[in-house]
Amino acid sequence: MILYTLTPPEMIFTNDNQEVSQQKMYHLDGIPLLVESDAEGAYRVVRVMSSDPAHYLDERCTPGAKISFL
Amino acid sequence: MEPIKYNKPDDGGGNEQETPKEEKPSSLIEKIQQLGQTNVPQLAQDSKIHCLTIVGQIEGHMTLPPQNKTTKYEHLIPQLVAIEQNPKIEGLLVVLNTVGGDVEAGLAISEMLASLSKPTVSIVLGGGHSIGVPIAVSCDYSYIAETATMTIHPIRLTGLFIGVPQTFEYLDKMQDRVVTFVTKHSKITEEKFKELMFEKGNLTRDIGTNVVGTDAVKYGLIDEVGGIGQAMKKLNELIAISSEGTEGMVQ
Repeated sequence: MILYTLTPPEMIFTNDNQEVSQQKMYHLDGIPLLVESDAEGAYRVVRVMSSDPAHYLDERCTPGAKISFL
Repeated sequence: MEPIKYNKPDDGGGNEQETPKEEKPSSLIEKIQQLGQTNVPQLAQDSKIHCLTIVGQIEGHMTLPPQNKTTKYEHLIPQLVAIEQNPKIEGLLVVLNTVGGDVEAGLAISEMLASLSKPTVSIVLGGGHSIGVPIAVSCDYSYIAETATMTIHPIRLTGLFIGVPQTFEYLDKMQDRVVTFVTKHSKITEEKFKELMFEKGNLTRDIGTNVVGTDAVKYGLIDEVGGIGQAMKKLNELIAISSEGTEGMVQ
């Protein structure tokens, strides 16, 4: 793998990467979202992965919004 | 003129100012009572212009540590396939603010964008460095914000490598892939692009050039300096031209 980037390699591959990413993909009514599970078992929206700009206006999935399954 | 009164018969006049969201449950119940079923929540109609944002590192064959903000090619490529296939989508806007990333992933995205049959317009905001350059030029028309920059520099080795001439040749070949793509899809000449790439004294710890908005246009790398407004206008123009073209073909 060759990285063609401005970021120095030591900043990309830091030594303290013990932390495993808790992020996963979730579809909310057809809107692909990148979510992160929190302590209470609910999901918090990290990023909207859709290419449809209208999806970004949906209040339910603005980054930071919580999605719970209750 | 008399204002239109909007009273719901079952609600009384009390909560006229309620948002539509609050009214939903009752209309939903109404629907179930009338038809015995309810609709799947409908979003606003599909937008005819879709938008791809390419931010942070472009992530390819290797998952980068979580502190990196990345755009993953396994997310982008299926999206591009979906955009190509969906007849409702007429154009694509690519917004770039990237520091570069994996060469192969970046070239894969660039090739996908270049071969997309629908009109594409790219806009570089902030930065479109390294592998962001081929992505920016791959679209039908490219814009750069006046303050945005693009850094053109040689490909460097990261990680383990053996110091033999073959390593250099391999690296040179990788670099050639980028140079060929950029010169083929923009107005910049190979000589000029390589000159910028190997320029000394512009970057503090490296060779290469940091090309700012207007300079990128001057060198022929990017088509025009502009923002979102110009980009949308251009995209709509391209959509109009391409729809004329297909109508002609039908006849």
